[in-house]
Amino acid sequence: MPRTRWGLVIGSLVVLVCVAVAAIYAGLYNIAADVPHTQPVYWLFETIRQRSVATRARDIVVPHDLDDANRISKGASEYREMCSGCHLAPGMKRTEISQGLYPRAPELRRGTDLSPAEQFWIVKHGVKMTGMPAWGITHDDELLWDVVAFVRKLPEMTPEQYETLVKNAPKHEELMHEEMGGDHDHNAEHP
Amino acid sequence: MRHLRLRETSTRLLLVASFAGLPLTLALGHEGHRVECNETAINALKADIQAMGEGGARTTASKEVDAAQQTMAKNDIEGCKSHIHSAMEATEK
Repeated sequence: MPRTRWGLVIGSLVVLVCVAVAAIYAGLYNIAADVPHTQPVYWLFETIRQRSVATRARDIVVPHDLDDANRISKGASEYREMCSGCHLAPGMKRTEISQGLYPRAPELRRGTDLSPAEQFWIVKHGVKMTGMPAWGITHDDELLWDVVAFVRKLPEMTPEQYETLVKNAPKHEELMHEEMGGDHDHNAEHP
Repeated sequence: MRHLRLRETSTRLLLVASFAGLPLTLALGHEGHRVECNETAINALKADIQAMGEGGARTTASKEVDAAQQTMAKNDIEGCKSHIHSAMEATEK
């Protein structure tokens, strides 16, 4: 490539970077949660999120007992306490927080394209700039797998089944107490 | 006698208080179902649609939001509300 063309390419890049920096400092981009991203920006962030999760969840070993009734029952209690405010549940109306979050928290009763490993990774590590917290900071892996086990069953549940399961599940406080007394490895990603 | 009068007064006061609070209770109860035609409502629906999976419901909701924006631009508020209502129904499917 001739030197003049290289100069043109580098000059254009410098101008582009300057325009981007000026736009950022002028506060041109609206970050309000009540004004959605344009479709290209939304696509960009969604793709970054999906690829990031898929790459990091690749080596997570999924427990073989996700269908275990005890796991699902414990997960139901944790889900009600930690997740239902944003992700809702069968028979539940949209909450104020679920209507105000942007991007919207997925309604998990509608099912998901994510694998169990990806769901576990998201529950454990959270997702930046979405309102999804990193539950792994305060909960051990076993309890988070219980939540994943429950979430996998959620789309099949009627509101009555959900209520019955939650009513008969061990209470959140009991599970947290049990967890604090247990000897699980808090940071073991491979059960 | 004095007790009877006191009881009557208390009952009346209670009745007045209940009726005075009734319109507020009804208004609050209705709040969740109110459909408005404005930029905020349209933006909220657009955010809901972005979170929907591909499919017929998403297409319907998008079309209804576009129609709501067009009718709002023409100051047809009732038409706009009707499209917003249809879009909300589609996002809940």
